[in-house]
Amino acid sequence: MDAATQPAIRVEGLRKTYGRGAAAVEALKGVDMTVRPGEVVGLIGPSGSGKSTLLKCLGAVIEPTAGSITLGGETIYDDGWKTRDLRALRRDRIGFIFQAPYLIPFLDAIDNVALLPMLAGVSNAHARERAREMLAALDVAHRGAAQVSELSGGEQQRVSIARALANQPPIILADEPTAPLDSQRALTVVTILNRLARDYRTAIIVVTHDEKIIPTFRRIYHIRDGRTVEERGEGRPIPLEAAGAR
Amino acid sequence: MINLASRDIAHGLGRYLLTAVGLGLLIGVTLSMAGIYRGMVDDARALLESWQADIWVVQQHTLGPFAESSTLHDDAYRALLGLPGVAEAGNVTFLTMQVKRGESDVRVMISGFESGRPGEPRLITAGRPVTRAHYEAIADEKTGFSVGERIRIRRNEYTVVGLTRRMVSSAGDPMVFIPLKDAQQAQFLKDNDAIWNDRNRLAANPALNRPGIPGLIEAVEENQFSNRNVNAVLVRVKPGWDRRLVADAIKRWKRLQAYTGEEMEEILVGKMIATAARQIFVFLVILALVSAAIVALIIYTMTLAKLKEIAVLKLIGTRNTTIAGMVLQEALGLGLAGFIIGKLLATLWGPHFPRYVVLLTEDAVRGFVATMTICAIASILGIRAALRIDPGEAIGG
Repeated sequence: MDAATQPAIRVEGLRKTYGRGAAAVEALKGVDMTVRPGEVVGLIGPSGSGKSTLLKCLGAVIEPTAGSITLGGETIYDDGWKTRDLRALRRDRIGFIFQAPYLIPFLDAIDNVALLPMLAGVSNAHARERAREMLAALDVAHRGAAQVSELSGGEQQRVSIARALANQPPIILADEPTAPLDSQRALTVVTILNRLARDYRTAIIVVTHDEKIIPTFRRIYHIRDGRTVEERGEGRPIPLEAAGAR
Repeated sequence: MINLASRDIAHGLGRYLLTAVGLGLLIGVTLSMAGIYRGMVDDARALLESWQADIWVVQQHTLGPFAESSTLHDDAYRALLGLPGVAEAGNVTFLTMQVKRGESDVRVMISGFESGRPGEPRLITAGRPVTRAHYEAIADEKTGFSVGERIRIRRNEYTVVGLTRRMVSSAGDPMVFIPLKDAQQAQFLKDNDAIWNDRNRLAANPALNRPGIPGLIEAVEENQFSNRNVNAVLVRVKPGWDRRLVADAIKRWKRLQAYTGEEMEEILVGKMIATAARQIFVFLVILALVSAAIVALIIYTMTLAKLKEIAVLKLIGTRNTTIAGMVLQEALGLGLAGFIIGKLLATLWGPHFPRYVVLLTEDAVRGFVATMTICAIASILGIRAALRIDPGEAIGG
């Protein structure tokens, strides 16, 4: 399989058990999932179904109990992490978008985005150049010098998306990115994610409860009782005017 | 790489500077305390140096005249002048009392001296030495008196003819120098009622008021109402003589206690100021602990206020050392700003202290090192809190 047809991420039989013995809780009971480059998939499920646990496992924040995770053809977990430097793995190959923007309040918009490349060893000048490109791609380049407190909620979310893209990771994990937004802004964010996925060939997994955006996914993974079920989504197109995005 | 600490400080500069001012006040007090101790030592040395006495002769078995009371007869100096190696000897008395300056009281140490002999203040900054046998005084500038003013000591008034500088007792009271006879009188002067009572008691005593012995009662009165005692004799040795050997000779042959200038300095600094020094040291320790607690609390709360941001930083791949470095730099920055403010305040308010405050560079360097060390230690709590933050806290609300 060449790089173009290689899944961005493939998860097979992923299990996660918290605790031991009688107190053990099996949060994931064998999750299977495949996301191709440039694809945006939804991950939905009721509270306590294991969405956050799956996201933390995929984000190399917690260690699964069993199974395998393959990222761009490279197995990163197979009954144990294949790399010891999980920090570098998260920094270079996984992007994160959170419920709230969680921008660093003492950095301006540019440096919030440039921080990631800087952490990867890119020079300050190049990192800022890349950050400007990302902010431009999200239509907030003109707000680069603004402090976080000076940005609107929508602008903050765009900057946080730019940050997730800054190191151009093959996969972005978005944890309820539209939760605090109204319909208009939520659809805008989804539109942006779809465009970025297409432009940068990035796979995006969107964890959501948001009824407004669920119909926009072409593929959806339902997670229930620690297991995933793949469904075909409606893939309803979003009118750009309604979404307010280019 | 961006310096996260400097950006965080700049972001919350107002609160940070306010904390630094609080810390600076503590550091200022700490430096002032050290300065007060240094001032006490310096005052003691300046006092001894201004008298330029090679040997202090005091009552046998005492640490007088400052650390313990000491009484000698005022003719003891004659015997001392007869000893080999003794060039000059002069009587001195010391008495701490309140004197009137206008409507207010000034606490001073009165020193009686004999003109032209050891004990006379030599370093006069204004006016002239005492030239008359009575009712002239030389006052230290700290008393507030100026040349020409009059000081009331007991029932007599003295004209200030000269001023000295840095002449204070170990308790910080400025000195006033008056002729020895006046000082002896002031030390033992009784009020008129007491004199009248004492005279009547003597007159009523048949053993002392015998009709057949004229002049007896007058002789007894004269003996009772006059004072022939001094507190110490200051001795200068002849050039080429070892002051230690001369002091040993005085102790051996005159049954008096004799201290060299160095020994008297040791008594003043090592014994009299020792208690104050211990007190200051305890204060310094308490202030250091309070400073550490404040820095630790501030850095800890600053860290707790950034829990989510630190979780995000860790999640996106920031090294633990970078995060720990940020917390440490913020603590050290607080220490640096606090120290600069503290040093500035100590320098500004130093001259307004009632006691002489000596701010030595070496103390400032020690204070700076201690401040930075305390801040580094205090940051451990914040660093620990930061490093314990789970990056997963950024995920899942």
